[in-house]
Amino acid sequence: MALVLGIETSCDETAVGIVDGRKLLANVISSSVEQHARFGGVVPEVASRAHLEAMQQVIKQALKDASVSIKDIDAIAVTAGPGLIGALLVGVSSASGLALALDKPLYGVNHLSAHIAVDQLDNDKKIIPTIALLVSGGHSSILKVKNLATDVIVMGATIDDAAGEAFDKIARIMGLGFPGGPIIDKQSKDGDLNHVNFPRGLTSAADLDKHQYNFSFSGLKTAVARYIEKTPNYKKADIAASFQEAVVDVLLSKSLAACKESGIDNLVIAGGVAANSRLRELAKQRCEMSKINLSIPPIALCTDNGAMVAALGSLAITQGVKPSQMGIGADSAASIAQVIW
Amino acid sequence: MRTVLAIDTSTAQTSVALIQDGEVLFNKSHNDPLAHGEVLPKLVAQALAVNKQIDLIAVGMGPGPFTGLRVGIAFAQSYALAAQIDWVGVCSLDAMAAGINQIEFIVSTDARRKERFWARYKDGVRITQPAVSKASELEKFGPPILNEGDYFPDPVAVAKIALTSKSVEQPIYIRKPDAYPLPTGVKFRPMTALDLVSAIAIEKEVYGKTAWSADQFKEEFAKAPKSAQYLAAEIEGQLIAYAGIFYVADVADIHTLTVVADQRRKGIGRELLKRLIDWARVKKAQAIMLEMRLGNDAARPLYESFGFIEISKRENYYGPGLTAVVMRKELR
Repeated sequence: MALVLGIETSCDETAVGIVDGRKLLANVISSSVEQHARFGGVVPEVASRAHLEAMQQVIKQALKDASVSIKDIDAIAVTAGPGLIGALLVGVSSASGLALALDKPLYGVNHLSAHIAVDQLDNDKKIIPTIALLVSGGHSSILKVKNLATDVIVMGATIDDAAGEAFDKIARIMGLGFPGGPIIDKQSKDGDLNHVNFPRGLTSAADLDKHQYNFSFSGLKTAVARYIEKTPNYKKADIAASFQEAVVDVLLSKSLAACKESGIDNLVIAGGVAANSRLRELAKQRCEMSKINLSIPPIALCTDNGAMVAALGSLAITQGVKPSQMGIGADSAASIAQVIW
Repeated sequence: MRTVLAIDTSTAQTSVALIQDGEVLFNKSHNDPLAHGEVLPKLVAQALAVNKQIDLIAVGMGPGPFTGLRVGIAFAQSYALAAQIDWVGVCSLDAMAAGINQIEFIVSTDARRKERFWARYKDGVRITQPAVSKASELEKFGPPILNEGDYFPDPVAVAKIALTSKSVEQPIYIRKPDAYPLPTGVKFRPMTALDLVSAIAIEKEVYGKTAWSADQFKEEFAKAPKSAQYLAAEIEGQLIAYAGIFYVADVADIHTLTVVADQRRKGIGRELLKRLIDWARVKKAQAIMLEMRLGNDAARPLYESFGFIEISKRENYYGPGLTAVVMRKELR
């Protein structure tokens, strides 16, 4: 099996993972999230400087955790897009340096596909073809994956906020803090998810016509804000739970509809929001009812990491995909259609 | 035998050289300020085809535009790690000055924003720390200024300096990541319909008769996120500024950039503008345009510092007697 080292620097995590085929050997992450707090969002230049500062140490730690020497590595994989351009370039340049020094192949890979590929680590699941629900702070998409390394099609995506963003905003409106995902998840545990029936975006017959697999969370956000304004003594747990239910419900309804229409009985849920406990619970229930095989990566591998990049690189090698040419650069707005550069 | 691979990406040029015991085996440069990431691995691959065994990596540590500069440093450090050899950092301005035979001079490279990175040399020695200044200030110093374009950091000099000098371990950024520290507590986020009540009040105060209505804002929001982006800045939940950009057919158009009167000149407008430009780049816009009211002098230097240039005037644009200045910034 090939030993693959994967580098991820598309946003604020400097991450390196090492896999041996489908076996996870190391997954090291250094985050600059605290440095961005005073700006209320990721500052590209701060993130890029932090990547350069952390990169060598993170590579060394990953090699140590995996108990392998850099000379043993068979291939280098790196996120080439989408993401912040200055941040991506630190990763791509490091990866190119490693590949040239080792005289080993380089695989530039798509960040979004990597989130799905990570589900193949440490198991022998055959998940392909599959529908994938990719939900994070930056993305909310339904993908049809016939081949993870070569054939990924976007069936739908958000037309406004990503699901993770909606969680952040509602947490802000309710004065719960940042990041919103885990906080709302926790609050909801003591709440009544049927307390308010908040709107499910783009689910009316008229909307489904045009936006069958697209998401919209801005109407939901406004509805929650209006409710809070009108109900000064609202119970935070109930509103958090009802809001979360509206998001989770629409994510799953559309994903299962995509499975049904495509005749594909596999569903993978990936990305940071896949760590949400209600999403995991309801997905399990509904997939059992619809006889869909559900697969969700372990929580630790749902957020941005290097193991997912290595996993996709490893998959590309298994499938005989040609390595990337030297000089791929980075593509901040890469589409999902480009899986391997 | 000792073979040094030397790299510099601190200017518009990406340069690679291979030096073996003083003999230059490879020396190639490519000029493209936006392509260091693509060019560097290709040039190094060509150099390695000449000689595979490398004993030391030398790299220019700047000063230089950050994104390109980091390409060279990240590459060099990772190459050294994988090849299990040392790397040595060099001040890129020193490698530019090395080829100049004058008693006293200043070398200067493009720092963007109408500023220059520079250092002063006398009798072959650098006598100032690398610094960043406005181009006009440099001329006041006296010695001849040798500019990027006529000269570049020489990768052969990078290799030679690396063999004789102490390594520069950190990138020479000089500027802070956020050149204009923002007041504490300012938060940036997308602007939404929830901001409308505050925004309408600010509109009336700032623009009077030409203020936008709620419907105009809603119309703008409807284009997001695909062809528009609206951002808001707040302090303690209070809206203090907002800005929006629209993109269609190659050219992005800034539709508004508004800061409440008592929060101006604090870098908030600059930060919003920067984010709008970043968004336009991601959308692959060729250029950005904006209209500004003639006499609105406070905002003009801000736009100019980002490279916006006046291209025309439109009379009566904002109403009778109110002229708009049209400005444009090329992105490629």
